[in-house]
Amino acid sequence: MSSGQRIIFHVDMDAFFVSVEELSNPSLKGKAVVVGGQRDERGVVSAASYEARKFGVHSAMPLRTAAKLCPHAIFLDGHPDLYRESSQKARAVLQNFSPAVEMASIDEAYVDMTGTEKLHGPPLKSAHKLHQQMKEKTGLNCSVGIGSSRLMAKICSDQAKPNGVLYIVPGMEQSFLAPLDVGRIPGVGKVTKAQLNQMGILRIGDLLRVEPSVLEDNFGKWGVALAGKARGEDAGGWFEDEVGADWQAKSISHEHTFAQDTRDVEKIESTLAHLSEMVGRRLRESNFSARTLQLKLRYSDFSTMTRAHSVPRPTQVDTEIFAAISKLFHDNWERGRAVRLLGVHASNFQDAPEQMDLLGVDEKQRKWTQALSATDRLRDKYGESAVFLAKGMAGTFRERVHENPAEKPGKPKQ
Amino acid sequence: MEISVSKQDLLKELTATQGVVERKTTIPILSNFLFEAAGDKLSITATDLDLSLRTNCPAKIKKEGSCTIPARKLYDYVKLLGDGEISIKLLENHWVQIRSGRSNTKMVGMARANFPALPLFPAESAIKLPAQVIRNLIAKTIFSISSEESRYTLNGALLVLKPESITMVATDGHRLAHVEHVNSKLPVSGEMKVLVPKKAMSELSSLLSSLLNSSDVQVVEFAKDESTLFFRLGSRILTSRQLTGQFPNYEAVLPRDNNKSVTIHCDEFSGAIQRVAQFADERSNAIRMRLEKDELKVSTSNTEIGESEDSIETSYNGDPMVIGFNSQYLLEFLKVVGTGDVRFEFKDAQSAGQLRPDEATDSEYKYRYIVMPMRI
Repeated sequence: MSSGQRIIFHVDMDAFFVSVEELSNPSLKGKAVVVGGQRDERGVVSAASYEARKFGVHSAMPLRTAAKLCPHAIFLDGHPDLYRESSQKARAVLQNFSPAVEMASIDEAYVDMTGTEKLHGPPLKSAHKLHQQMKEKTGLNCSVGIGSSRLMAKICSDQAKPNGVLYIVPGMEQSFLAPLDVGRIPGVGKVTKAQLNQMGILRIGDLLRVEPSVLEDNFGKWGVALAGKARGEDAGGWFEDEVGADWQAKSISHEHTFAQDTRDVEKIESTLAHLSEMVGRRLRESNFSARTLQLKLRYSDFSTMTRAHSVPRPTQVDTEIFAAISKLFHDNWERGRAVRLLGVHASNFQDAPEQMDLLGVDEKQRKWTQALSATDRLRDKYGESAVFLAKGMAGTFRERVHENPAEKPGKPKQ
Repeated sequence: MEISVSKQDLLKELTATQGVVERKTTIPILSNFLFEAAGDKLSITATDLDLSLRTNCPAKIKKEGSCTIPARKLYDYVKLLGDGEISIKLLENHWVQIRSGRSNTKMVGMARANFPALPLFPAESAIKLPAQVIRNLIAKTIFSISSEESRYTLNGALLVLKPESITMVATDGHRLAHVEHVNSKLPVSGEMKVLVPKKAMSELSSLLSSLLNSSDVQVVEFAKDESTLFFRLGSRILTSRQLTGQFPNYEAVLPRDNNKSVTIHCDEFSGAIQRVAQFADERSNAIRMRLEKDELKVSTSNTEIGESEDSIETSYNGDPMVIGFNSQYLLEFLKVVGTGDVRFEFKDAQSAGQLRPDEATDSEYKYRYIVMPMRI
C-alpha cells in the first residue's frame, strides 16, 4: 500500500450453486434448496438457499443433519460443470472492470479497482454498473464489498448480502469494524475465536485495546497481524499479496466419500482412476501441469493420511496421474482396512522453463494430451459421463464441488 | 605370505585402484584389497562387484600366498611412510603386519576366501584399440550420460566397433553426444556393440591418462564375454559388468532437416553463455537464443535476480528465430571442444539443435552433439 488510496472490490455471488440451479429450474425459486446430494446420503452440504439457511442449514454440514433441520428442503445432487461455466462468465464480467481479478474460489473474487475512476466513475457508481452487468450476463445476483484493503472489501461484501453494495470510505475502517464480532475477521475460526473470547476480546475493537505483545505471546506473528486487521489493514499471510499477483489456483483436487466403506481393491482403484481423470481434466482446462500428486486416504474410523509424490516430469495426463496415485495407494494402504474417503490432489504447477525430450517420451505425453483434450470436448458436448478410462468405468460417481475450498480463506463461518 | 616391496611401486598401484574400492558398501570385504604374492610380483585387486581392477608391481617374495587388507586405511598409511622398502607379512587370524624403517603396524584383514572371484581376461579374443582414441571418445561423450538410475540403459555409453571405425554414443534423453573415429583398422567382422557403464568409462579414462603419460604402451586390449567387459592396459586389467538392455534408437533422433545454421567461435560462445547464465533460473538453467541477421543474442531474465544479454556477431542470414536451451548442456559440449569454431544448426524452437566442431579443425573425429530445446 505504498502510494495513494486503494480501492478493492470483493464480489461474492449470492447463494451461487442454488442460484445457478434456479436458472435452469425456475420453480426452485424461493424454496428451501440444499445442494450436495440426497437427504439420506453420506457426504456434506455444498450450498443451501437462503430459505434453507433460515432453518440452520449451512455448507459443510452433513446432508442427514440438514434433512433433520429442514425436512421439506429439496435436495439436489448439483451440476459442477454448470457452476464452473457460470463462474467463468462471472470472471469475464469482472475482467471488463479491471485487469487485476483474483478468483478466491468458484463464487468470489477480489478486483483491484484502483485507478479506474476515469473509466468507471467513483466506486459506488462502478459497483452499481458491475451489479447490472453481472445480472445481465450471468443471470445471477452478487454482493459487492468495497474498501481500502482486501480485508475491508471481504467483510463489507458479507454485510452487504444479499444483492447489495457496501462501501466503507477510507478513514472509517476502524469505527466500522470495532463493534463487529471478532469471528468476522477472515481466518479467525472457532478455535482462535474461543481463545480470544477467553482473553475478553469479543469484538474487533477489543483487539486494539490489548497490548500487541499480549497478542504476539498468544498467537505469534498472527497475533500481530490481528491488530493490523482490526484497523482494516491487509496484514499477514495471504491477504498481503497484491490482487491478481497470484490469482492462479495453487492446487486442484477431487475427493470421493463412498456410500459404504469399502476394502474392495477393484472398486478403490476404479475410484482413484476416476478421480485422476477429473483432476487431469481440470488441469487441462486451466492449462497446468502438476509436479506433485497427493493421495488422501480416510479409513472408516476417520483416521486420515495424505501421501505425496513428485513426478520427474510435470503432467496433466490422466494415466500418468493415476499411475502415481495408484502406487501411493498400494504403498500406503493397510491392506484389508476399510476405506471411507479417497482424494486426489495435484499441486506444484509447472512454471519454470521446461526441457523437451529427445527420445520421444514427450511425444507420447503430447499424444495423450491431444487424445484427452478430444475427450474433454466430447464431455463438454455430451456431458461428463460421455467418455471414461476403462479403469475408471466402475468408479464413476457424481462430482461434488464446494463454494469455499479449504486452501483459501472463505466466508467467515458463524 | 611374506613379501617386500618398494614404497613408490606400491603407492602407484594403490593410487590407481582407489577409485574402484567401494566406499559405502554393506559388504565389508569389498572395502579390502586382495594381495596375492607369487613369482616376483605382488598382484593387487579391488572390486565393487560391478567394476574390478587388477594390477601388479614387482616385489621380493619370501613366502608366496595371499591376504586382504582394508584399502582406504592402507592407502592413507602407505602415503605417510618414508621412501624405501615396505615388508608385508600375513599373521594369525588374517592380521597383516606392515613394517617400514622404524614403523611397525598390524592391520586387521579378512579371510581371503571371502573375496569375490573375478572372471579371467580372455586374451585369445582380445581386440587392440588405440588408447588415445578411446580416451578421446570417452571425453567427448561421458558428460551426456544419464545419472537417473531409473533410465538404466542410459547409465552408460554405447561403443560400436566396425572394421573401419569406432563410435561412441551417450544420451540422457535430453541431449546426445555422438562421436565416430574414422581412421581405425580393427579386426572385427561386421559390427560389435556394447554398453559401457559410466563408472567404467571414468575409471578407464583416468587409467588411460596415466598410461599415456608414463609408458610407451599405446593400446587398450578389449574383450568381452556374456556379462563382462575387459580392458587391459599394460599390466592393469579393468573388468566391468556389462549394461544389458536396449540402447535407444539414436539414429532416429539425429536431425536431418536443420536448415538454419550459425558458426560461432567456441570461446566467444561459451563466454557469452557463462555470463548470461549467471542470471538464469537456477532449477532449469534456461537461456534464450535469438538469431537475427548478422547477430546471435543470448539472454536470460529472472524476476528475482535480474536480466542479462550478450550479443555475438555472426554471418547468419536466415529467418529470425528464438529458441531456449539449458545453458549447462551447451557449456559442457563447448568445454570439450575447447577452441576453434562450432556450427550450430537448427530447424525451429521445438526441434533438436545440432552442434558440431567446424569440419576442417577436427577431421579424424566426426563429432556431433544433439540437444533438445527448452520451452521458454
